[in-house]
Amino acid sequence: MSPRHSFFNRCLMAIPLLLLLPLLTFWLMHLMPGNYFDQLRLNPQISRATVEQYEKLYHLNEPVLIQYVYWLKQLARLDFGYSFAYKQPVLDILVSRLGNTVLLTGFSFAWAWILAVFLGLLAARYPRSIFNRLLDGIAYAALSMPNFFLCLILLHLAAAWGGLPLGGMRSVDYEALSASGKVLDILSHLAIPSFVLGIGIFSFLFRLMRAQAQEVYERDFVLYLRAWRIPGYKILFKHVARNAINPLITLLGMQLPALVSGAALVEIFTGWPGLGQVMLQAVRAQDLFLVMGNMVMVSALLVLGNFLSDILLVIVDPRIRSGKGGAS
Amino acid sequence: MKRGFLFGVAILFLGGLTLATAFADRVAPYDPNLENRAQALHPPTPLHFWDEKGEFHKRPFVYATQMGYEANMLRTYSQVLKKKCFLRRGRHAPLGVQAPGKLYILGTDSRGRDIFSRILYGARTSLSIGILGAFVSVAFGFLVGALAGYFGGWIDHLLMRVAEFFIMMPALYLLLALRGALPPTLDSFQVYLLIVLILSAIGWGGVARVIRGMVLSLRERDFVLAARVLGRRTPEILFRHILPHTYGYLAVIVSISIPGYIFGESFLSVLGLGIQEPAISWGNLLTESLSYSVVRFHPWVLFPGLFIFLTAFCLNIIGDALKASQSPEDKLKENV
Amino acid sequence: MCAPIASFAAQSDFFDGTLVLPIATEPKTFNVLVAQETSSTEVAQYLFEGLTEFNPKTGAVLPDLAASWHHSPDGLVWTFRLRKGVRWSDGSPFTAQDVAFTFEQVIFNPAIPNGARDIFTIQGKPVTLNVLDDDTVEFHLPAPFAPFLFSLTQPIIPKHILEKAVHDGTFSSAWGLGEDPARIVGTGPFRLAKVLPGERVELVRNPYYWRMGHDRRPLPRLDRIILMIIPSQENQLLRFLDGETDLFVMRGSDYPVLKPLEKERNFKIHRTGASLGSSFVALNQQAKEPWKKKWFQNRDFRRALSHGLDRASMADIVFNRFAVKQCSPLSPSVPFFYNDETPCYDHDPGTAKMILTEVVGFQDKDKDGILEDEEGHPLEIVLMTNTEDPARLQLAQMIREDWRRIGIRVHLQPLEFNALVSKLTVTHDWDAVVMGLTGSVDPHFGANVWLSSGNLHFWNPGGGNATYIETKVDDLFGKAAVTLDRNKRKEYYDEWQRIEGEELPLIPTVLPEVLYAVRDRFAPLTPTALGGPFYPIEEVETKRS
Repeated sequence: MSPRHSFFNRCLMAIPLLLLLPLLTFWLMHLMPGNYFDQLRLNPQISRATVEQYEKLYHLNEPVLIQYVYWLKQLARLDFGYSFAYKQPVLDILVSRLGNTVLLTGFSFAWAWILAVFLGLLAARYPRSIFNRLLDGIAYAALSMPNFFLCLILLHLAAAWGGLPLGGMRSVDYEALSASGKVLDILSHLAIPSFVLGIGIFSFLFRLMRAQAQEVYERDFVLYLRAWRIPGYKILFKHVARNAINPLITLLGMQLPALVSGAALVEIFTGWPGLGQVMLQAVRAQDLFLVMGNMVMVSALLVLGNFLSDILLVIVDPRIRSGKGGAS
Repeated sequence: MKRGFLFGVAILFLGGLTLATAFADRVAPYDPNLENRAQALHPPTPLHFWDEKGEFHKRPFVYATQMGYEANMLRTYSQVLKKKCFLRRGRHAPLGVQAPGKLYILGTDSRGRDIFSRILYGARTSLSIGILGAFVSVAFGFLVGALAGYFGGWIDHLLMRVAEFFIMMPALYLLLALRGALPPTLDSFQVYLLIVLILSAIGWGGVARVIRGMVLSLRERDFVLAARVLGRRTPEILFRHILPHTYGYLAVIVSISIPGYIFGESFLSVLGLGIQEPAISWGNLLTESLSYSVVRFHPWVLFPGLFIFLTAFCLNIIGDALKASQSPEDKLKENV
Repeated sequence: MCAPIASFAAQSDFFDGTLVLPIATEPKTFNVLVAQETSSTEVAQYLFEGLTEFNPKTGAVLPDLAASWHHSPDGLVWTFRLRKGVRWSDGSPFTAQDVAFTFEQVIFNPAIPNGARDIFTIQGKPVTLNVLDDDTVEFHLPAPFAPFLFSLTQPIIPKHILEKAVHDGTFSSAWGLGEDPARIVGTGPFRLAKVLPGERVELVRNPYYWRMGHDRRPLPRLDRIILMIIPSQENQLLRFLDGETDLFVMRGSDYPVLKPLEKERNFKIHRTGASLGSSFVALNQQAKEPWKKKWFQNRDFRRALSHGLDRASMADIVFNRFAVKQCSPLSPSVPFFYNDETPCYDHDPGTAKMILTEVVGFQDKDKDGILEDEEGHPLEIVLMTNTEDPARLQLAQMIREDWRRIGIRVHLQPLEFNALVSKLTVTHDWDAVVMGLTGSVDPHFGANVWLSSGNLHFWNPGGGNATYIETKVDDLFGKAAVTLDRNKRKEYYDEWQRIEGEELPLIPTVLPEVLYAVRDRFAPLTPTALGGPFYPIEEVETKRS
């Protein structure tokens, strides 16, 4: 299949995905007994009539399918609805927090990826070195712990030894800092959460890259390159890398939505002002439209991520461009 | 060989753990739900051979302890040096101590329950969730992938789209929403099964994709052609000739995914949505260790975390060893 | 673990005159009238004021925006003389029109759902108001209402800013998080400066604040208050230790960590007494199963269950001994009205078992450790609680164990808060629940819970099944609401507490103490359980060291 053909196929596949995920979420949210306004019932100052007024306003007592249709109609006008808890348009909330979460997870992914590729290549080249074994050990250890537990331990250690901020995104006196001070401030706040998030990714990708690179290294063309006296680092970082990196790029696309939804518990433990903790609260409090808006955004990111990785693949691997070779 | 040595240690640890867990009734020194509120947050009791006068005793012993409060409302336990309690045969465990001493190998939690016993009983739940979850998801993924790969065409297309859908589902929200949607009147066993099911639903897609890829390429090989020429029928070709090549990969994927399921269960439990008390799992044992104040003065509450770590570590080692031992033809890159 | 060798929080003069407070959830709106959760009202206390204010140290209601008042002898007409010279934080003058606007156009506006309306609706009829002149307001009550002065701590909002929103019908969404801070205008000591969603809310001094200090210096003395949003309490502890925040609301288990560090980290721990509110186990007296209904309606059964609770252990283990046994539906911190002679059914498993077997008539025929009633139903109860509060969850688990020891099998059912409330107040499908309710300093505001017709009377809802005792309580509440004589009211409420102590529709457990760890550089500090560590906020300042 030519790449354009499969590209078009992907587009087609995207549509049911975009519709199905939100429907599934909607249905699941309604399986949960009660609704957001139930918590108001327990407030002695709010009468039953008031609560029922709210429920009527948002059609919460009508059958699920009818509610879904209402929501779809809203969506068609690009209106994501209102968050019950925040009393703000869902879009406003998503947008204001999205940046923070993207900063955290983007930064974590970035360093994890770059380090994984770089170190993976090196480790493939020098498999018996101490540094390979050390990294291997670290990778193992990181994959053997639930990430929130690692986060906790790091926070306890940081509290005991000092030096790093224990949560939040910016210091209180952020505005009073110089430009470089600001950057440093955010970086130091990123330290613990992005380490926790990144180390798992790093470990997995490092081992993958190393395995891939090792395999590529065995191939004949590497021998030819050596015979032609191409310097070692060029062989490694240009030729082997481009051949080995294929599956990692496929993964990149699929990890884009994880970018947004994966950091919840870490965000909560470190007080990082992102979408993760908002969403966790929203799901538990049944803040329906906020959850749905988030789901639509995540689905869109999924599709986007897949496109991105397809495009990247084409750029990196010329064989795909001409329709030859490559796994599908 | 370093690899071989580690592998042996891993097998030993996991084997030992499994045995101890299976026979928890005999191995655990105390009832895991027995609340000794007067001995809450008791440190692990040290075993002594030499007493305070410097005399050696052949039979090891522990000192009875007394609870007190330090100036800052901190519970402490001091050893009553006069009272020695020797090791003896336990009532149902092989080891115990004379009254009023207690053999808290890993200390007690905030309600006075022996942590070591709880870890053993909790292992039953957590390990089984891990194994069951891995098996269910791999089995299901295997089936789907095999069918898709072998028959190709619209079956392949349909099945792979479904698998992709499941791969791309944002696990967290679905986990929460699904768990929250469950009627709260389920008993702990039903909750347990449902957790396994929910976690597996997230995992099977990846397996399906890989198996399908493997079967697709295996399908074109000569021996398959030969089998067809010889008139063998489809099911036989599939099960006798093609699929055995995938077993290596399956073994790897099972051992590598078990830790993921154990983590998934502990994640749910930390949020309060997993295994509930009085049922015990490593996840809900971890909830004690979330509090800085508790960990600061009573770090032994972190032991369940250590066990999770060791178990996952050993499983990863085993998975790696299995991967290395696959035949080069069947060796599959870790393409997802 | 070694002591901290360095702390991250910057020590600069940026922090002079700044108070940094942690909050667990961010405020969802600054519209104090439609705000439903405490995170929003917590910010509002710095921004807005009412006609009166409550002094948590003395328990008295003091003049705030109203300088003085008097009422007619029958208590139906109250006249308030408003303070002169008060200005809103944008400079506009505060007048009686704002009061009228708040009540007539917002609180009693049928298109705006709000909680204040129910407070000012007495015996089904609304309070009405008359503006006599720019400084005088007259309230007409349909019946005498004892807590009226206290309810006038109700924040007043500016007409000139919000009137348009009321007319446009957009009031409920006005003053949300995205609003321009300059438009959030109040008469309180601080005004909104900046909102960083998910991170913090910054308040600065209100330059037009009307109060003057004793020495004629303008108030407030602080320049700025920063509310940091830190959802995890553990993280709040760590950041307090690190020096980033100036307050930490402690749990009992944090005491051993914090106390030794008082000198080194420059703070002090203040014990202020029991928290306001109540913590209890309730039994559904309209349970679906008829045999359970019979058990739960039996007062001796409830007494036995109360005897079964080991409250000392609960205080010890869950709160590290920083908790008090609760006997009355009111907290011991409620000034004046708390009845310390409320009967209590203390921990006595022997008596509990005796009551269950001999008085109520349960037997353990099959010797499985669990009692059965005469019809053979084993004593099994499903106990619900909400998952979000770890202390409550631990309490529930301990209760399960306590009641197992007296022969009752308990199934714990932790639920999300919404699901819990739905079961309690909508479907009425529950056996027992471990819960807490927030309290008020005036017992009248618990009417919704204690009146047999109250919509929070969830253990015997509907009003149609009121027992004889419940009608007595209804009567007491009714009388206490309309009597303006404080001592007479105390008599009524004392009687009510005594009744509830004996009847035990809600079996009280333990109330945690309120502990504050406050940074040393703030003075004067007179922390109270009712008013927090910084009352009155306008007089707190950073000490020049």
